[in-house]
Amino acid sequence: MENTSDNWKFKGNKELNSASAITVRGALNALMSNLNASDERAAIPLGHGDPSAFPCFRTTTVADDAICDSVRSAKFNSYSPTVGILPARRAVADYLSQDLPYKLSPDDVYLTLGCTQAIEVILTVLSSPGANILLPRPGFPYYEARAAFCNLEVRHFDLLPEKGWEVDFDSVEALADKNTVAMVIINPGNPCGSVYSYEHLEKVAKMAKKLGIIVIADEVYDHLAFGSKPFVPMGVFGSSVPVVTLGSISKRWIVPGWRLGWLVTNDPNGILRKSGIVDCIIAFLNVSADPVTFIQGALPQILEKTKEDFFSKIKTILRQAADICYEKIKEIPCIECPQKPEGSMFVMVKLDTSLLDGIDNDMDFCLSLASEESVIVLPGICVGLRNWLRITFAIEPASLEDGLRRIKSFYERHSKKK
Amino acid sequence: MENGDAKWRFRGNKQLRSDSAMNVTIRSVRQEIMSRLNPQDERPVIPMAQGDPSYFSCFRTAPVAEDAIVESVRSAKFNCYSPIVGIPPARRAVAEHLSKDLPFELSPDNVYITVGCTQAIEIILTVLTNPGSNVLIPRPGYPYYESWAAFTHLEVRHYDLLPEKGWEVDLDSVEALADQNTAAIVIINPGNPCGSVFSAEHLEKIAKLASQLGIMVIADEVYDHLVFGSKPFVPMGVFASIAPVVTVGSLSKRWIVPGWRLGWLVLNDPIGILRKSGIIESIENLLNISADPVTFVQGALPQILEKTGGDFFSKIKSLLRENSDICYDMIKEIPCIDCPHKPEGSMFAMVKLNLSLLEGIESDMGFCLMLSSEESVVALPGFTVGMSGWLRIMFAMEPSSLKDGLHRIKAFCQRHGKE
Repeated sequence: MENTSDNWKFKGNKELNSASAITVRGALNALMSNLNASDERAAIPLGHGDPSAFPCFRTTTVADDAICDSVRSAKFNSYSPTVGILPARRAVADYLSQDLPYKLSPDDVYLTLGCTQAIEVILTVLSSPGANILLPRPGFPYYEARAAFCNLEVRHFDLLPEKGWEVDFDSVEALADKNTVAMVIINPGNPCGSVYSYEHLEKVAKMAKKLGIIVIADEVYDHLAFGSKPFVPMGVFGSSVPVVTLGSISKRWIVPGWRLGWLVTNDPNGILRKSGIVDCIIAFLNVSADPVTFIQGALPQILEKTKEDFFSKIKTILRQAADICYEKIKEIPCIECPQKPEGSMFVMVKLDTSLLDGIDNDMDFCLSLASEESVIVLPGICVGLRNWLRITFAIEPASLEDGLRRIKSFYERHSKKK
Repeated sequence: MENGDAKWRFRGNKQLRSDSAMNVTIRSVRQEIMSRLNPQDERPVIPMAQGDPSYFSCFRTAPVAEDAIVESVRSAKFNCYSPIVGIPPARRAVAEHLSKDLPFELSPDNVYITVGCTQAIEIILTVLTNPGSNVLIPRPGYPYYESWAAFTHLEVRHYDLLPEKGWEVDLDSVEALADQNTAAIVIINPGNPCGSVFSAEHLEKIAKLASQLGIMVIADEVYDHLVFGSKPFVPMGVFASIAPVVTVGSLSKRWIVPGWRLGWLVLNDPIGILRKSGIIESIENLLNISADPVTFVQGALPQILEKTGGDFFSKIKSLLRENSDICYDMIKEIPCIDCPHKPEGSMFAMVKLNLSLLEGIESDMGFCLMLSSEESVVALPGFTVGMSGWLRIMFAMEPSSLKDGLHRIKAFCQRHGKE
């Protein structure tokens, strides 16, 4: 007997369909659909953190070679152990230990599908009825999106633009309660482009220890610090507070499509092990998808053999682009940059809509900018700050200049007449 | 003020720590069995537990596939983030590849590229999860369905496969189990763990029953085309106009590259039933917050699917056929093991243990633990796939290794046979 039309019993997951998760990708797709198809100029992408399309940001041939060697060896076509293959875990442990006062073991390293999956793992592992975590505002919206899906409550602490986007410790303390399990810091900062000093990170560690919580250190932009402050890994403070570091090769090697990341426990006192967190990590990895085995196989070569001049070249381009960005923004009255970016690929700038006609907020600004000037910029609402903008400067410098010039024209065209 | 251990506030997700349905996986049981291997035994370990023959050189993947990956990497065109649904050329290539065996044309929009078939299963089960809903899965089956369903709080109900009928679906048991909250039935064809291949007639009956019950069919076709007996492989999508079919599959088995993590979830929906149901919205919302497959492997997919020659596939099938013969014939010579149905597809055979003929071995797990330590053969106890007292034998390996392994099993059974 055939089933006629409407008697089908399956339907989609109500929870998934009711919460519309804001992700950077989703917001950018909405903006890009506003582009004017008849504008012959190339669209300038100042919205996303992916410079891989630009020749000046092409990854090192050492990395390409490592992948090709790994594939051709035919030794890495098999399933990987759930925590990652040992040579890859060892390579990450050695790589990160270079900047730490103690040595990481390969057992402290869990390989993941990019930093994205590392975030998924740690949030899932920390979810329990009533638990909450502290996230920075402005921040990276994937944390919120994924936490909502795990039913993990999020509370936002402020970053202070007038203090180089440092953590507002008063707001952290006011938010934390006995159900708080962790705080997330993103350093180098997305979206702020900040780099925290050793002293500031030490204060973060002290605060977390006082509150009895884990520090989740999102260091996906590790080493992309090109200003006056050096990059200091949070793991340096692992003996006073357990630190879970999330990272990947995506940003430093400009290969976000390779989906190779890690979750690392910096915990010489074994607190995470004793509390059962490590068992939970392994249990969740046991039922989750794994990173590609031959990319894991290439990891030792990538981490050990990449030459310093590749890293310097990337930092130089980023520094140059950050300078261009900061200088050009000074010439645009409706946009203000409180803190010159010193790291990552982004800068947060404040939008003054009172100087503009017919533009009410950041989303309006970005939608109109996309359609009139074919420039994509991320509205600050997506990262937690309404009427700010997140601008990516990690693109070909000439395109960056073009994009900023177009933003200036856009301002001039919309500026309130005196 | 020092913070003693008792003051740390985090405890971890209780479900992850204690849920046995989630934690008894093939991987964990296999690891336990492997921990019993005798390091002093100089003989090579014979791996009959995991569906992964990539270790053996006779099962090396097609050179075309390796070339495609290398070209894709060197092009530098695929180092970027992928769209959540997959890159258009990959979606198109899978749509064309699968449409060859269907009576209708799949659109690239019906195809989602996933991190292996594993993630495709994760997605469809999560998407169907609602309070009180349930899905029907086969017993014996593939325990990842139970593990993930437990994690996402989706109830599973087991219908039987009938060993005396070539492991076909017991349609009566399906009907008895289904109720108002049943959303789907999962079938695995070619079969894991049974090595069965369903006929077109049987698949059509399943489709008709699904239609009658108002449920979709989830067709796990990860072993698609790996058939070497009398029955051809028929994709469930052929019957999608009777009941909507969600096919999950990947490159892993047919190309022997499980480590490449490239799979797909495909909506066979010629009359638009899935489109109206809210399923698509859920799939895309979930993909939005999930990990993606590697972009350059997606970039290589068109070349892999279009250019792999028939001779590679024939070679793999003959190896599997040869091994299936060896396995079936040699098991006949082992009195305490019985294979009710000669495998015709996939890489596995389900065999029954007659424990009453053995001394000092009480269970399938006991058998496997001792076999590992005494003979360095790693087999999978049937309880992991839903049938205690059985074994799942993976036979895709170098034929000489398979013979060696079966000789050792025979020796083991003789040594432990009751007087």
